[in-house]
Amino acid sequence: MKTKLFKLSLLTLLVTLATGCVDDGDTGAVGPQGPAGVDGSDGADGQDGNDGANGTNGNTAVYTVQITNLTYSQPLSPAAIIMHEPGYYAFVEGQSASVELEQLAEGGDPSGIVSTASTQVQFLDGIATSGPIGPRSIGSESTLVVPDLDADNLRLSIATMLVDTNDAFTGLNAMDISNMEVGDSRAFMAPSWDSGTEANLETADTMPGPAAAAAGGGGATAGFNAARDDLFDRVRLHAGAVTNANANDASKEGLSTSILTEADRWDNPTAKILVTRTR
Amino acid sequence: MKKTSIASALLAALALSSNASAQTIDISITNLTHAQHFTPRLVIAHDSSIDAFEPGVEASSALAWLAEAGVIDDAQSIDSSGQNFEALLGPVDNDNTSNTWHRFDGLVAPSTTVSYPFDTMDKPYLSILAMLVPTNDAFVGLDSIAIPTEPGTYTYTLHAYDAGTELNDELNSTRTDIVAQGGAALGGYGVPGVAGVGASPVPLGTGGTGVAVTVGFDQDGNAIGANEVVDGTDGPVHIHRNVLGDTSLTDGASDLQSTEHRWLNPVARVTITIPAP
Repeated sequence: MKTKLFKLSLLTLLVTLATGCVDDGDTGAVGPQGPAGVDGSDGADGQDGNDGANGTNGNTAVYTVQITNLTYSQPLSPAAIIMHEPGYYAFVEGQSASVELEQLAEGGDPSGIVSTASTQVQFLDGIATSGPIGPRSIGSESTLVVPDLDADNLRLSIATMLVDTNDAFTGLNAMDISNMEVGDSRAFMAPSWDSGTEANLETADTMPGPAAAAAGGGGATAGFNAARDDLFDRVRLHAGAVTNANANDASKEGLSTSILTEADRWDNPTAKILVTRTR
Repeated sequence: MKKTSIASALLAALALSSNASAQTIDISITNLTHAQHFTPRLVIAHDSSIDAFEPGVEASSALAWLAEAGVIDDAQSIDSSGQNFEALLGPVDNDNTSNTWHRFDGLVAPSTTVSYPFDTMDKPYLSILAMLVPTNDAFVGLDSIAIPTEPGTYTYTLHAYDAGTELNDELNSTRTDIVAQGGAALGGYGVPGVAGVGASPVPLGTGGTGVAVTVGFDQDGNAIGANEVVDGTDGPVHIHRNVLGDTSLTDGASDLQSTEHRWLNPVARVTITIPAP
């Protein structure tokens, strides 16, 4: 077999050589057509059409709401931001908190307040914001849309938790933002409330925030707890965190079992709320 | 406040410009604290391009000089030249186009009221700042309110802010047993320690180990010179969490007195009187 193959190869070589030497043979058949060329570039865009006529009034008023965290070290939880007609209250001072407010004030979850508010006849628009606002920082803007007819008698309610506490929250309680013109801004300085739903133990297993986490607790299990174990089950202004500062000196004015430090204290206001009507 | 209706600000400016004469208003300031003095007051009438302070935004060097040392201009401290509010705003008592400002001198003692006439030179906004002493860097601030145009009397309550340019160590700056890290004496701008010790109606302690810091350690807890105090920052500008203090003059964390030097907001009341034309 090997010999035969060799011979065949030799023959091919000879034929090839013969072809190369003799250059006046017949012209071969026409080869196949080559591939299609690349497409050309697009032509220039046509000119813009004329602007459409102004629409009729969309019958909506649009507002942005921006929260600034004024505290030194308390992160603010995701916030419930609700625009509504008069008559709705997310909470009432001196009365016991709703379970939804308790979930916000103990666990930093605003979704219950917003979803419950949305079933009320006074409800116009509401947002549960997605992330926390760090201490000493300005939060992002939330946009709310309400019927234009309500702009002359409008209320704004906001609740957001001070997360390195048992059940403190800040916000606005049915603040009157009626009669804002397009372009107007109004700023509100917000106090801090105690939801009255949880004893202010200031321990790692009763607070959900980073201070408690650093002390080996925190998280969801340390947040919302259905038990109502505060001295009085009533919403009120917060007296501030006691913290463990001065707990071990002669004054003993600190709370030795608190995992909070003097840095976790605050004075009111704890939040600045900037409302701007954009349309 | 900065975003407050540019449209209405322009409107106000237009309305005022028809009145060629400058407007002099009366400003009265009441110190509502128990034992904190106000340093000389910086009063600025300005347009929307000036923002002396803004919560959530880092302090300027001018604000640091005011909040740490009570310094507004070169006349008070030549060391502050080029960094103070005079450098930021322009010459005193002058129409600097964007603003006009004045330093009302002297201290305002607790539970006292001072009143001044002030020529706004038809600027639309008003800001007032003064340091609280003795503190590290607390200041009382009126944040860019729109100056009312209708004659009348208008009242505002003011909060205490923390400039965030110095840690709140609450250490008595007249002490010589401790120094700033590197050896500088404690005191005003750029060094630890509370300023304005002499103004306090009650004595400060002399044995505190530091509140937001610990003498002999840096912010991360690493040892530095045994008698050294670290100089750090805690900004941006925010509402002051109040001084802590303690009840001992000889030990504890703070050289301030918890029973005297604490406050709760508001710390000042400002009344503005717009005269009839």
